[in-house]
Amino acid sequence: MIQDLVIAIVYIGYALTVLLLFGTVLTWVERKQAAVMSDRIGANRAYVRIPFTQVKLVWWGLFHGMADGLKMLLKEDWKPAAYDRLAYMIAPWVVFTPVLLVFGVIPFGGTLDPGKLLSALPAVADWFGERSYPMQIARLDAGLLIVFAFGGLSVIGAMLAGWSSSNKFSMLGALRAGAQMISYELVMGLTVLGLILIYGTLDLNAMVQQQSGLVLGFLPAWGIVYQPFAATLFLTAAIAENKRIPFDLPEAESELIAGFYTEYSAMKMGLFMFAEFIEIAIIGALFTTLFLGGYNLPFLNDSGFALPGGHVVPLAHGTVVVLQLSTFLVKVLAMSSFQILIRWTLPRFRFDQVLMFAWKFMLPLCLANLVVTAVVVFLLQR
Amino acid sequence: MIEATLQYADTALLVLFGVFALAGAVAMLVLRHPMRVAMALIGTMISLGGIYGLLGVHFIAAFQVLIYVSAVMVFIVYVIMLLDVRDLSFTHRFTRLVVPAAAAGLLFFVVLGHAVWRDTGGVQPATALFGIGQFAVDFLSRYWLQFEVTSVLLVAAVVAAIVVVRLDDKDHG
Repeated sequence: MIQDLVIAIVYIGYALTVLLLFGTVLTWVERKQAAVMSDRIGANRAYVRIPFTQVKLVWWGLFHGMADGLKMLLKEDWKPAAYDRLAYMIAPWVVFTPVLLVFGVIPFGGTLDPGKLLSALPAVADWFGERSYPMQIARLDAGLLIVFAFGGLSVIGAMLAGWSSSNKFSMLGALRAGAQMISYELVMGLTVLGLILIYGTLDLNAMVQQQSGLVLGFLPAWGIVYQPFAATLFLTAAIAENKRIPFDLPEAESELIAGFYTEYSAMKMGLFMFAEFIEIAIIGALFTTLFLGGYNLPFLNDSGFALPGGHVVPLAHGTVVVLQLSTFLVKVLAMSSFQILIRWTLPRFRFDQVLMFAWKFMLPLCLANLVVTAVVVFLLQR
Repeated sequence: MIEATLQYADTALLVLFGVFALAGAVAMLVLRHPMRVAMALIGTMISLGGIYGLLGVHFIAAFQVLIYVSAVMVFIVYVIMLLDVRDLSFTHRFTRLVVPAAAAGLLFFVVLGHAVWRDTGGVQPATALFGIGQFAVDFLSRYWLQFEVTSVLLVAAVVAAIVVVRLDDKDHG
């Protein structure tokens, strides 16, 4: 009982650390990657000086994220005469909290066996005994539904923010955010239905476990191999849901200043930005879980590598855990970087094009993909 | 010591969510501004989701939040956001139809009270946990007709709403 609580607290701490770290690091990745892509040097000014020496640590501008965070925390918390003070105050939280909550159902590693992991400390190992835990904060049989349930909550936050600000730019941004996020949430839901048909479950952990084998003897059995089309559509819809270029109409700075959060300053505005960057990581994590095999590395299972041809490389439990955790993180980072690549490659849509794209292009494609998947699954099961 | 606390924590959370749900429901009736009412309703819905989650039916909790908050309430908030500037009826404490509304409310409570009084003691908490697989099978084998009839009713409601809006348009020229 208490052991479960300890593990749960450790997992929650890990998840919060990873998400907040991703949120901070991705602001830097966004700038630096943009600089590399456009052949510039990029952020390179902020530094930390080691006390009492003249040694300045620049570290490729990594401290710019810290400087930005400090600036937002220390700035005056300007409170404009909002139309509805309460809605104005809670809106950033309504956007920010669901983004964090989604990570609760995403499996970030295989099975953790604390007794085996901490065998160097016999007292602790005995206390944990034979218990083992899946590395996931909440293993629920409706995990994927929970992801979409929380995804819809942040729409309300964006609309509340724009509506309560008593500013026409904010209002227009909120209208755009509402229409766009509703449309793309629908598309996103339809893209994963094919996967649900194939895996026959909504439990994200079970989905990842089913992606651990090989297809045709050499391809990893990842979702992207079964559903390449759905993977593309899902990523597109997810970027649109996150309101980033080329879908950043709700906050298009050349049209609406900052859209629905124009009237927010200091850390209240920071929460919107932070939510956006954490959402990049969340989308990366979801894509990894659904389409890239989650924490699975080809040929790696819970006891070590089982290479083709009968070679077996046994690994200690600790090594496997670390390998799985880092596999997941590397995949998430790669997907985040890919999203930033898209963001700095494509120009912005026009708003009618965004909605047209959702309803007249992506929705029919999703339905076609779903129909084909359903027919194939039905024929294979007969 | 800690284990006992943990067991009480479940009950405490259940009570907390129940209080939130009730407070949201009361606020929904008392508050005047449509957006505040919508926010109170969202609070109630999420608290109900929390209660379902604590009772072990996570997928009902997910449906509660997914359908009522992420779908229905998003549309309601969207509409209020567009319309509340034009429709100022919420500035009056009561509508002109307060007496018939109160009568209808009273009637509803009588029916509800009668139903509850008749069924007291008949409700047993579920013994086995009810998973989403079982729900899907039951839903599509036993309750599909009710579900389809509901969708027909909803279509009728949409048509009725459109007709009412058209009537209003005619009145105002």
